[in-house]
Amino acid sequence: MQRIVAFVLAALLVVVLEPLYAQQPSYAGKTISIIVGYAPGGGYDRIARMVARYLPKYLPGNPTIIVQNMPGANSIIAANHVYTTAKPDGLTVAIFNRNLPLGQLVKVEGVRYDMTKFAWIGSMSSETTILAIRSDLPYRTYTDLQKAEPALVIGATGPGANTYDFPLLLRAFLKLNLRIISGYPSSADIMLATERKEVDGRAGSYSSIKPWLDRGVVRPIIRARASVPEIARLPADEDLAPDARTKAVMSLRSTPEIIGRPFVTAPGTPPELVNLLREGFVKVSQDREFLAEATRAGFDIEFVSGDAALKVIREVLNSPADVVRIFSSFFKFE
Amino acid sequence: MLDALLQGLTAVLQWNAFSFMLIGIGVGFFVGLLPGLGGGTTLALMLPFVYKMEPIQAFAFLLGMHSVTATTGDITSILFGIPGEGTTAASILDGHAMAKKGAAGRALGASLMSSLVGAVVGAAALALAVPVVRPLVLTFGSPELFMVAVLGIASIASLSGGGERAMLRGFLAGCLGLMVAAVGPDPQSGVLRYTFGQLYLWDGLELVPVLVGFFAIPEIIDLAVRKTAIAGDVSGGRLSGVFEGVKDTFRHFWLTLRCSLVGTWIGVLPGLGGAVAQWMAYAHAVQSAKTPEDRARFGTGDVRGVIGPGAANNSKEGGDLIPTIAFGVPGSSSMAILLGAFFLVGLVPGPDMLTKHLPVTFSMVWTIVLANVITVAASFAFLNQLARLTSIRGELLIPFLLFLTFIGSYTAHNSLGDIIVTLVFGLLGYVMVRYRWPRAPLVLGLVLGNIVERYLWISTARYGLAWLGRPVVIIIFLVAVAVMVSAFAQQRRARVARGAAHAA
Repeated sequence: MQRIVAFVLAALLVVVLEPLYAQQPSYAGKTISIIVGYAPGGGYDRIARMVARYLPKYLPGNPTIIVQNMPGANSIIAANHVYTTAKPDGLTVAIFNRNLPLGQLVKVEGVRYDMTKFAWIGSMSSETTILAIRSDLPYRTYTDLQKAEPALVIGATGPGANTYDFPLLLRAFLKLNLRIISGYPSSADIMLATERKEVDGRAGSYSSIKPWLDRGVVRPIIRARASVPEIARLPADEDLAPDARTKAVMSLRSTPEIIGRPFVTAPGTPPELVNLLREGFVKVSQDREFLAEATRAGFDIEFVSGDAALKVIREVLNSPADVVRIFSSFFKFE
Repeated sequence: MLDALLQGLTAVLQWNAFSFMLIGIGVGFFVGLLPGLGGGTTLALMLPFVYKMEPIQAFAFLLGMHSVTATTGDITSILFGIPGEGTTAASILDGHAMAKKGAAGRALGASLMSSLVGAVVGAAALALAVPVVRPLVLTFGSPELFMVAVLGIASIASLSGGGERAMLRGFLAGCLGLMVAAVGPDPQSGVLRYTFGQLYLWDGLELVPVLVGFFAIPEIIDLAVRKTAIAGDVSGGRLSGVFEGVKDTFRHFWLTLRCSLVGTWIGVLPGLGGAVAQWMAYAHAVQSAKTPEDRARFGTGDVRGVIGPGAANNSKEGGDLIPTIAFGVPGSSSMAILLGAFFLVGLVPGPDMLTKHLPVTFSMVWTIVLANVITVAASFAFLNQLARLTSIRGELLIPFLLFLTFIGSYTAHNSLGDIIVTLVFGLLGYVMVRYRWPRAPLVLGLVLGNIVERYLWISTARYGLAWLGRPVVIIIFLVAVAVMVSAFAQQRRARVARGAAHAA
């Protein structure tokens, strides 16, 4: 009799305590895929590969992490794939174009994701946009650009890229006298055209223009909202907006830059797995070697948490209808 | 400058740089051979390893890999008619035709040797260009680049082959290529063209699946129908032609040199992309034939059609590096990835690379030369065995070739759409071969379509009509006119000769 009671007690103990020590999910023996919405070699791909190398030791069980490229439609294809097909088992992570929330906002055809439903890990860095003009031109501030005669020729790659979108709003709302010539194959080609004096300047992410700023080929005039210390003294475009609505439109364009390198996992992933991933990413962003390598590669690492990212997304998606209407008239997101 | 040159050489020959280069060569060797796995993608995969290296070691590693992909990519093109790389498709036209006649060894020998000559010429151009590179690249603005693309389209006239309606068919095929290039967003306003509501087509068609389907599938169908080995019924005796091929390269030395220069020049011009050089070199090789009968031999297995593209796709490497190093402007997508390597090792492309870090630049020159010398020497060791693959029965090879084709098409972007594109273009390619429509003009239209449109727009938007009067623009235009006039004149002479033969 005593033996039976002891046995039952032991069994009860096991049943009661089991959830406690089975709590710790582990990635031992598993493989995580990071799906990148662009072809190899670009900014999103490079940061994904760096993360893939440093993350395993910060996840329990030390999993293998591989990177899979799934380019197409400005990474809408990758986002769709992870949203609809990936299993919520914490083994699929995705990184895609930071402007995809805007695509959802203006209801681009082909979008099958809902940004708020992804399980957000966070963003590895912000990417701030600036407008830079050839140094040998006499213009130094944005008021000079408003009065510039003849119009300044700004080179761009095409609609949907910040090389085009940023000057477009500057011209429409701040009345800078700009002529946007689009069609250059890459932003590096625009810089070459600048050196050739074929164009007078370009807009783009600060990190990509920095080498030319340092060499003195171009000088920065105006920036978007997100900022890094070196350019904080420049005026921000939305601060110069003539009224609240145009300020909201400019702000809408630059909001996604705060989540410059967004990482998510599949919708419906259990919170404990998402938290493991978040903690892993935070630790990677503080790893000294990772920081050194990322800085060398031109990234300004500053981890934005998943919750903060979701807040930003919701802010974008809850924009008032009139602001969205004006925004859509400028940007078809193609 | 001379001691920077020597410094570069000794740095590359240091034990650790040299062993990294050997590893790179090993990787590049197989990357070139396998279709679909591109040099650019592999560069992106190798990039993370470069972080801890010294600059010269890093570039020995990366360029050691990349500069040999064009050399070994020709091998797959010649033996199987499947483009090993996007840059080696032109070698299929005459190279694979030679393989089908049992002359695979000769084609391989010619291709490898011309690749080596091309690589050396391109590397030498990089070295010699150092003092003049900035004014050289700055002379070519958007109007000039447009005119070069027009020159490329004009050379379609030479790629159309001989025959009654060849020229007309060639231009129609070229127009079809231009239309296919239009798929995707318009560069100026972003309007989507020819996408039929498919997300897959949003960025336009990818070149590798198109090329793989366009060239490989008709060859595989042909092989299945013929029921023989690739080399037809020719028995083994002719396979020792490798040295014959090497001698061919030197027999046509001026052609090899000129095609190398064409490749280098196209590489120097930023924004033209990687696939153009081989086709323009091929067109130039065709134009170098003086008589219509001579021209008609291209496409049926003329060794000059192997030498031209073989030299150009290697010399392009050295040319590509020139704007990349001096301006940070990539001449092709692979170079765009290589730029990432610059930042990883702490260098900034620009004037510094031509002054302060000149030894690093020269070490790249030596890497290209040495890597290709080693690869070509190593390949010669088993080229004859490789050539024997063409005498294996077709039924055994076809599954393997189909496997290569579809894996090659899929692995580029993990996309099922690529496979469908391969099939569609495979069908189109087969129909064109069957009805004797030339395929090269379509490919040329495809690779040049975007470039022509962009630069025409930019030139007109920026300069109005004033750009038509720029001296370099006029010169290139006259060359394009000359190319077309000579092609038409040849065609007329051929027709007259045919008429006389009929009358007699």
